[in-house]
Amino acid sequence: MKRATSDHWLMRYLFIGVMFAFIVIFLIFPVCVVLIEALQGGLKFYFNTLLSTHSLTAIRLTLLVALAVVPLNTIFGICAAWAVTHFKFRGKGLLISLIEIPLWVSPVIGGLVFALLFGRRGWLGPWLDDHNIQILFAYPGIVLATAFVTFPFVARGLIPLMQAQGSAEEEAALTLGANGWQLFWRVSFPKIKWGVLYGMILCNARAMGEFGAVSVVAGNIEDQTNTMPLQIEQYYLNFGLPQAFTLASLLLILSVITLAIKIGLEWRRLAPNMARPH
Amino acid sequence: MSVAVSHISKRFETFAALRNVSLEVKTGELLALLGPSGSGKTTLLRIIAGLEIPDEGRISFVGEDVTEKSAYERKAGFVFQAYALFQHMTVFENIAFGLRVLPRKKRPNAQAVTKRVNELLELIQLPEFGHRFPSQLSGGQRQRVALARALAIEPRVLLLDEPFGALDAKVRKDLRNWLRHFHDQTHLTSLFVTHDQEEAFELADRVVVFNEGSIQQIGVPSELRQNPSNEFVRTFLEV
Amino acid sequence: MNAVSTSIEKGYSLAPVDTDQLQPQPSSRRVNRRRHILPGFRLTLGFAVFYLSAIVLIPLLALLLRAFTPTTDYPSVYQVLKHVYDVATDERALDSYRLSFGISFAAALLNGVFGFIAAWALTRYQFPGKKAIDALVDLPFAMPTSVAGLALTQIFSNNGGYIGQFLHEHLNWQIAYTPWGILIALTFIGFPFVVRTLQPVITDLSVEVEEAAACLGATRWQTFRRVILPAVRPALITGIMLAFGRAVGEYGSIVFISGNMPYRTEITPHLIIMKLEEFDYVGAAGLGLVMLAVSFCIVATVNFVQYLSARRRGLT
Repeated sequence: MKRATSDHWLMRYLFIGVMFAFIVIFLIFPVCVVLIEALQGGLKFYFNTLLSTHSLTAIRLTLLVALAVVPLNTIFGICAAWAVTHFKFRGKGLLISLIEIPLWVSPVIGGLVFALLFGRRGWLGPWLDDHNIQILFAYPGIVLATAFVTFPFVARGLIPLMQAQGSAEEEAALTLGANGWQLFWRVSFPKIKWGVLYGMILCNARAMGEFGAVSVVAGNIEDQTNTMPLQIEQYYLNFGLPQAFTLASLLLILSVITLAIKIGLEWRRLAPNMARPH
Repeated sequence: MSVAVSHISKRFETFAALRNVSLEVKTGELLALLGPSGSGKTTLLRIIAGLEIPDEGRISFVGEDVTEKSAYERKAGFVFQAYALFQHMTVFENIAFGLRVLPRKKRPNAQAVTKRVNELLELIQLPEFGHRFPSQLSGGQRQRVALARALAIEPRVLLLDEPFGALDAKVRKDLRNWLRHFHDQTHLTSLFVTHDQEEAFELADRVVVFNEGSIQQIGVPSELRQNPSNEFVRTFLEV
Repeated sequence: MNAVSTSIEKGYSLAPVDTDQLQPQPSSRRVNRRRHILPGFRLTLGFAVFYLSAIVLIPLLALLLRAFTPTTDYPSVYQVLKHVYDVATDERALDSYRLSFGISFAAALLNGVFGFIAAWALTRYQFPGKKAIDALVDLPFAMPTSVAGLALTQIFSNNGGYIGQFLHEHLNWQIAYTPWGILIALTFIGFPFVVRTLQPVITDLSVEVEEAAACLGATRWQTFRRVILPAVRPALITGIMLAFGRAVGEYGSIVFISGNMPYRTEITPHLIIMKLEEFDYVGAAGLGLVMLAVSFCIVATVNFVQYLSARRRGLT
């Protein structure tokens, strides 16, 4: 029997069909193309490309950037979430809004602001020149721009999570004589560890894959300041399409792993599936 | 005198939760804070424990002024209304928590911790439940675990916030008798918050009647019944 | 009632308190110095504010000031402002706005349509592979934009060997290196926003309300238009605006597929980078301010829509 609220079969097939077509063309097809193009030259070519100096330095730099950015943003995220969820203070709403700024602005702006600060003709450029400190077109600049772009990832996942958990267990620990450190590591952290991991995974994926912000501050010096996404562009512009796809396939694998962990955490309800995705 | 509360006031935004409240609890006494919801009794309990900061007034434990001390220095045994058990720890670990966070010099060794926790599990009549998680317990069992956890640190005073609020009638009655019995044995100075006058009268040595942030009357149950000091106490107790 | 309130006015004087012990000494009236119960307030808030300032606020302030402060090239405030104005309203900049904002909006609307269809199918229908499809929706979040750009360029270029080559040979329709390519990349980027904002709302839609509408004689189409659509509209608009906001700022995938030809396929973020490479910091800051202003308007719109829908729900 047909229920009053079930859709017409035609609509049902149409909707499912359109959705499948969209997902196949826009999501599945690009993934396949990356893999096909990357392996077109054979496995030997594939690994030779990955082990070339260009690729290896890019991979190394990308890892080093993520190694600095992810811990920094994680510590920030935990601190911000702790302050916002356990205390009342003036300007709390403002703080929460400010944390979200980097989600709204273009990644190119994220690079631009540091170029304006540290560039040769930027605010601090002359002073840095005098003291022989290199920030722009070097590792520190790339770290700063990446930190800007991935800034809110841990915090915005933890704040709703910790808000939902409340402060009762922390208060109980306090009356039992736990000091701040014991209270955090023994009571609070076990409750939020999956949420922290969730934020770190997202932050890491974005940090390793960030292109716009980094391309402004990195200066495209091959074998020096090219992260993986920048090296992909470099290959592409130098007509090395197979090499570009080879390096891209590595980032693709990273994003698939990220997605798998993210979905795994969400399905186990260990982390909140955020209503407002970014 | 075990706990002294003097001239405590507390506002939340524009709402005056407590207005110049003073109270003394005698050593070994079981005292009930009775009143309708929103009358300030839970706020007073939380202020005594150090979980809320009063705007004015002082608190002292056994003659020592603890007003400036934080909750973790006061170590009042506090039993929360919704228990606030650590969900990720077993019953054993919950009860052992207070011992394991003691400063290194005072911290008992593993054997002593196990011994003490097992004694407490025995006391709350849940000796086989140490390895369970709070989510695997009934409401009454959780309540007793929360109590054991608070007792593990050998507190100078025991504070219970609506200790039987979330339980059904039968369990309530049993637990009430158990608590009275426990108190008669240990004579641990205890305060509990309730809105149920039958509970207060049956259990407590003295009852403090609260309304709108101030104490209306303090007395033993018979005294309150026979000689209510004002209209509020009379109407509240006659219900 | 009266009796009760008078007793309250008398307040604590009714309580038999041992007054010898509790004389209000001067010190007992002192306002408490400690302000917070749980530990770590100053440490955590301090670090959060410091890091926020260092990474986000001060750099953004540097951008803001750059568009108003004289430099050696533009020694007076008037000249700075004039240069900012010239760059921001230059023909090349205007063309880049048209392209950036126009195509971003078109892509956001496309996402609105496809996103609604996908969200509806994923919440209301049963079909094989549903969980896998649901997981795949997040792919554009996880996939680096440069990888997506590279792949889409290959698929849609005239000689890539995929869809683009087919369309070019048979329909003489060029996609990569034209605004069509940008539209495709931005549609890819924005897809998850609409789906993920709509899904919880459609899940929460009570089937009973639809049943009630059906019992009152509404056709399925009438129910859809009069009951379902109004309920999901705020979320739909929010999702579209989020996709729009993301598309306006997008750079990584566009750089590959658009060809970056001034006046034709150059988006505003690319123009900013061009200005920086010419060492025209003031001009770059001016264009950056335009983009910040647009982002701000989008945020304001989203918040306004959510405020309106929250208020409506509060009233009903």
